[in-house]
Amino acid sequence: MTSSVRHRAGAEIGRAVELDLSGAWLVDPASGRQGPGELVVRDGRIEAITWLDGPDAAGIDDGGVIVGPGFIDLHAHLREPGNEAAETVASGLAAAAHGGFTTVCAMPNTSPPTDRAEMVQAARAAVAAAGSPVRLLQVGAATVGRAGEQLAPLGELADAGVVGFSDDGSPIQRPELLRNAFAYAGMLGLPLIDHPEDLAQTSGAEAHDGLVATALGLRGWPVAAESSAVARDIDILAEVVRDVPGARLHLTHLSTAASIGHVRDAKAAGLPVTCDVTPHHLALTDEWLAGSRRWAWAALDADGRPRDPWRDHVLEADPYDSALRVNPPLRSAVEARACLEGLVDGTIDAVATDHAPHSQVDKDVEFGLARPGIAGIETALGVLLEAVEAGLLPLARAIEVLTAGPARVLGRAGGSPGLVEGALADLVVVDRGARWTIDAGALRTRGWGNPLLGRSLPGSILLTVAGGRLAYEVDGH
Amino acid sequence: MGSLLATSRSGAGDSPAQAGSTRTPAWPHRHLLDTDVLTWPQVELVLDTADVMAEMVARKRPRSDALRGVGVTNLFYEASTRTRVSFEVAAKHLSADVVNVSVTGSSIEKGESLLDTMRTLESLGARVLVIRHATSGAPYLVAREFGGSVVNAGDGRHAHPTQALLDLYTLRRHVPGGTLQGRKVVILGDVLHSRVARSNLWTLTAAGADVWLCGPATLLRGFEAWAAAGVGGVRRFTVTSDVTAALRDADAVMALRLQQERMAAGLLPSVHEYAARFGLTAERLRLAREGCLVMHPGPMNEGVEIAPDVAAGPASLIKRQVANGVAIRMAVLSLVTSAAARGEAGS
Repeated sequence: MTSSVRHRAGAEIGRAVELDLSGAWLVDPASGRQGPGELVVRDGRIEAITWLDGPDAAGIDDGGVIVGPGFIDLHAHLREPGNEAAETVASGLAAAAHGGFTTVCAMPNTSPPTDRAEMVQAARAAVAAAGSPVRLLQVGAATVGRAGEQLAPLGELADAGVVGFSDDGSPIQRPELLRNAFAYAGMLGLPLIDHPEDLAQTSGAEAHDGLVATALGLRGWPVAAESSAVARDIDILAEVVRDVPGARLHLTHLSTAASIGHVRDAKAAGLPVTCDVTPHHLALTDEWLAGSRRWAWAALDADGRPRDPWRDHVLEADPYDSALRVNPPLRSAVEARACLEGLVDGTIDAVATDHAPHSQVDKDVEFGLARPGIAGIETALGVLLEAVEAGLLPLARAIEVLTAGPARVLGRAGGSPGLVEGALADLVVVDRGARWTIDAGALRTRGWGNPLLGRSLPGSILLTVAGGRLAYEVDGH
Repeated sequence: MGSLLATSRSGAGDSPAQAGSTRTPAWPHRHLLDTDVLTWPQVELVLDTADVMAEMVARKRPRSDALRGVGVTNLFYEASTRTRVSFEVAAKHLSADVVNVSVTGSSIEKGESLLDTMRTLESLGARVLVIRHATSGAPYLVAREFGGSVVNAGDGRHAHPTQALLDLYTLRRHVPGGTLQGRKVVILGDVLHSRVARSNLWTLTAAGADVWLCGPATLLRGFEAWAAAGVGGVRRFTVTSDVTAALRDADAVMALRLQQERMAAGLLPSVHEYAARFGLTAERLRLAREGCLVMHPGPMNEGVEIAPDVAAGPASLIKRQVANGVAIRMAVLSLVTSAAARGEAGS
């Protein structure tokens, strides 16, 4: 049987959705169920879900049209206010919808930073003006000006609706201040989201401290600069939670086996720690800086040992592509594999994009002078599906880490993503078998450059529906 | 334009061991950004071309019309006397129109991007851009957009291909038998920060030399792993902090410049301790083979990484390196402009 996706043609972004889906593969992380089914949406609400079996289900598999809850991104940069050449709330939310995301957590490192309640209200106004139904959740700064000197008005920010606190790219270095931030945020029932980096170890660092950096003459960003920050965070949290049971730590964009090991131990000890990983740290490696374009899992041999891109003659692209400059840096294939294993075994709770668009002025420059960041919110699903195709990530887990996983990290603000009759439709419809080509015209972000430009990815997104309203529809559908 | 890389970047595939091959040497590279892309026959082509150039220079009126009417611009973002003048002299010997641009950091402060500067110079007639830059990889950015040829005159810690080629040229002319196959060549000093060491690693191992990198452990960071993997994933070399083991029976030693800022960065206790433990002295040189060749890419800190009597000693090739640099750069300028004229895309 063939899939059919019918909805009111030519509907405008933001309009209530009418949708009849048949012959689709439904993935519902709320119930843990997946399988062939039909789904009907009327006036933006899921009117009916029918799970099919027997002859009705014949010919429907998970390689065709897939329907799941809308994705939640725990970590994105929308750049407004302050750097609208790189992204605006409107362009960022359009990009999110194109990537299947219906909820986006905006990081506070705008200019000025989101360290006051007025900034949260301004962001909300920008969302309303953008007309996108994608839900924006704001992360507040943990310290004034993200300067790491004194606590931001965390209570006021909480009252204004922030879902957590973070200084993101300028992580709190002073241990005593970090301790207080844990306690105060915990008192407010909100997580502290840390970008774990010991800045004293990464001054001037350009690339993962490994073979590629050595050969290319790039200054190394050591694994220990991340893992020691993770260990410090966890050790301090362990003390704080004795006094403040609500204290919580979320570690974002982990990139190393050592960091993931610390989180695994902390979780086993019952500490309130969660973490995420980005698609690029799962699938891309430092080899790409030298010109390789193979996926991380193809850069390991059968015994899990790293392969050599020079010996393998896979250096096909120009080296030093500044689109690959990112923080933390793209790691070795061994570290990437640890990230993927952590994702599969549940140590890692979520995939977050760290969508970090930059303007051409900031990015189309010498590698070491380029601003770090990959604008990957539109390619996250495709990259995860590549890992699924490689047999390394179950499809249901790929959907879970984009939906229920991040929702659990957010707690109350995350809701409970699922396919539920009677609920407002918040879902994504994907044609898994349809590959699409990443070119500048295909992307909604204003961000310049993307390391995947020119490649194709599986999983063309047909429809994104946020809160019952149309957020994205593939052209010509 | 397409990829800069018309050929595999996995380096000098045809080693001298296989050099009996009848393969016609060809030069497909419109740019010279590093030595890693050069096959062994291409390396030999540069050296053979440099021989021709050296003969020309040795004649009374060392002029060729090879680059007449061609604009060669030296764009130097780092201070340099030796390399800049060497390129300038080389280009003038070939009758090129030479322009020198020194931008020590100021353009970044003024806000002009590297690509904008390149486009300006291209509009002003540059057909060859010789670039030195403090950031590793910067010449690749320029090569992506520039219509002519880009020659890397040193980028950050990454590469200094003409230096490596002139080092190889100099060694081959002075090593007994004229081949480096099996010869022990030691690169001594601040390997970590050295673009000379990296580019030499590709060419010397391609030449079949037994390459040893020696220096304090802090200045060898990452190289042990590279040695285990091999250059190009195949060609082995040795990394050690044992200066005695490194120098024993060496056929050639190349000392590297030690910058003062290494002490401030906490990489070394003191210049004195460095000189005492790793300086190339006459006493240490006695560990090497008799007549061991001595090299230094310059500028030297005499009394630090190399003793004055060693630098000026009978086996020192340091002045030859400077003279040979002109011939190598003439060869490179002529080869890349020929490739550009043929419409080659390769780097």
